[in-house]
Amino acid sequence: MLAMVPPTIRQAHPVQRLHAAGSRLAATAWRRWFLDRHTEFWLRELGANWLVAEPRARVLEVIDETPDARTLVLDPGRRWPGHRAGQYVPIEIELDGVRVRRCYSISSGSSQPGARRIAITVRRVAGGRVSVALHRLRRGAFVGIGRPAGDFVLDSPVPPKLLLVGGGSGITPIMAIIRDLTARPTGGVDVIVIQGSRSRADAIFGHELASLATRFGWLTLHARRDDGPAGRLDAAGLRALVPDLANRETFVCGPPGLMDVVARAAGDAGALQRVHHERFTAPVPRVAGDGDPEPVTVDLVRTGTQVVAGGPGPLLTQLERAGLSPPYGCRMGICNSCRCRKQRGTVEDCATGVVSSEPDQEIRLCVSIARSDLELVL
Amino acid sequence: MIMHPSKSLSPAEADAFGRELDALRQRVVADLGKRDVEHIRHVIRLVRYSEAGGRALLHLGVGPLTFALGVTALGASKILENMEVGHNVMHGQYDWTGDPALDSKRYEWDIVCDGDHWRHSHNFEHHTFTNILGRDRDIGYAFLRVSPLQRWRPLHVIQPIAAAVLALLFQWGVGLHDLHLDETATGSQPLAMLRRRAMPFLRKAGWQLGKDYVLFPVFAGWNAPRVALGNLLANGMRNLWAFAIIFCGHFPDGVQLYRQAETAGERRGDWYLRQLNGSANITGNRVFHLLSGHLSHQIEHHLFPDLPAARYPELAPHVREICTRYGQAYNTGSFAAQLGSVANQLIRNALPTAA
Repeated sequence: MLAMVPPTIRQAHPVQRLHAAGSRLAATAWRRWFLDRHTEFWLRELGANWLVAEPRARVLEVIDETPDARTLVLDPGRRWPGHRAGQYVPIEIELDGVRVRRCYSISSGSSQPGARRIAITVRRVAGGRVSVALHRLRRGAFVGIGRPAGDFVLDSPVPPKLLLVGGGSGITPIMAIIRDLTARPTGGVDVIVIQGSRSRADAIFGHELASLATRFGWLTLHARRDDGPAGRLDAAGLRALVPDLANRETFVCGPPGLMDVVARAAGDAGALQRVHHERFTAPVPRVAGDGDPEPVTVDLVRTGTQVVAGGPGPLLTQLERAGLSPPYGCRMGICNSCRCRKQRGTVEDCATGVVSSEPDQEIRLCVSIARSDLELVL
Repeated sequence: MIMHPSKSLSPAEADAFGRELDALRQRVVADLGKRDVEHIRHVIRLVRYSEAGGRALLHLGVGPLTFALGVTALGASKILENMEVGHNVMHGQYDWTGDPALDSKRYEWDIVCDGDHWRHSHNFEHHTFTNILGRDRDIGYAFLRVSPLQRWRPLHVIQPIAAAVLALLFQWGVGLHDLHLDETATGSQPLAMLRRRAMPFLRKAGWQLGKDYVLFPVFAGWNAPRVALGNLLANGMRNLWAFAIIFCGHFPDGVQLYRQAETAGERRGDWYLRQLNGSANITGNRVFHLLSGHLSHQIEHHLFPDLPAARYPELAPHVREICTRYGQAYNTGSFAAQLGSVANQLIRNALPTAA
């Protein structure tokens, strides 16, 4: 897009200033007055999805992995920047008029920029609105897709000894890493995979992992089921399965219980710094009690700073007390002047008492009370 | 129209009034969903297609019939875009969807008024300080005398003509509103501040003029004069309609103005009462309501500015019922009656009267 004009333009030749002003006007016009209204609309109407500014992915295939886990093979669109195995991607879907976003680990191996096939594997959570809605999608449906992110990835060069632990749907980023390793076998790698699941039927990718373990001698699989003979894995059991834990680069993703087990075992072996973990569960919101809210840490994304906001009153007052001056207007929740994006955290609406932990939510600072640490785009 | 004045409420009654309206608001907020989004998307589709059709008729057509049809289609598109889409989306009525096309902070509408200026002067100033003399600059738009409570000045004598001119050029009035020109005229706003305020307006106005009178005519080739004239008339159509609807919102007889002292220590219930008594509705059919951007329900809009406007007709009976129980007047009338009342006010107050 057109570049921003440098501040020294005042001293420039009048023709240059005219050109610069013209460029600024054109950029503003394109961005705000033309693109917003007309181009996006007509591109969508005419079905030219690949040119639309908002990236969308099309469902190519739907594969049932287990009774409640389903893989969606997606065409992420021509502007897919590529991803590394183990990363996740935000997926956006519209539920009853509201766009809701959730992050899902990409279960297919790493992809190049412009790749037209990736996969996410979604476990349907009881009462989970997004997972239930994703399970209803069929071939040809569209979902919003963001940029892949995350550092749950193998280093380069690949460490010689690896321990990959996946529990439940936590096997999805692990599977991506394994698919990468088996697709491009690097000499001299020794991988132990531990998959935890409730039962054999619930083991996502169970068959594929077993067959890969048979094919590749350097890949050892331990499938542990809650209802199996050995039961759930504990720290001692893990140390027994993996005696050289201290020498292995460990990647663990799964329920909090499993993460604790691995952390304890690694800690005992003095290898805690070699453990990489990926959490799926959202941070537990603090109790939305009555009375004055406790002080919370607010991360300000735009300035990259952090403040502690506390004391009575809504978030706007708390931030002002902490020395900031966010924009505001009516201070009564009507005019939207104080609206800003809450990327993470829990707030309570002053007027209605509704508590929301939804990520990437627009909130009005003058009528929101912080109920947990927050990340705000301010 | 003859209306019994609203009963004056005690603080406890005002609080109860406020709570009932809050509860009403909550019921709607909890019910917002797919049908609200579908509605605004349908209207946007209607706006775009009628704009495309209107412009095609102007650009490619020959003769007066296609010209008239083209202007009508384009004018209708501009009216809907201004009233039902632009005004309502910018109020944040659809922010809850998370759809970037309906984001109140990013929406720019098809008139010379800059979106940020509007968001500041309308969403914040007008809706917070509604009808407070000396704070709400929408009262007569800082140059018309719509109530005997406003001080008379000799220039007010020509205000019926001024109002007619404003009607034809309404988008310019709206565009200039946040520049506070009246304050520069009286000397309370320095020129440097005016210059700073004016920049976004000049950019937006420049773009609009370029688009309507240079860009599109150039694309029309031999039809350039026809397209330029068509754009002018369509803009005029929208100006007149918007002026009429908006002036009926706060200027008919019976609408209450407030002095700053009266509103000191205002609580939420008092705010609701001021919004109610400071606004007036227009009766009509569904098409009328849609074309007015549901500003025919100015009362409901001022009580709930951030609820999707298409919900106002179903809210109105409930609001009316609450008003009856609390002895509050509900100012409504036909388009002709309300517009006539506004004209009457403008003419009567052009001459000095005792407050």
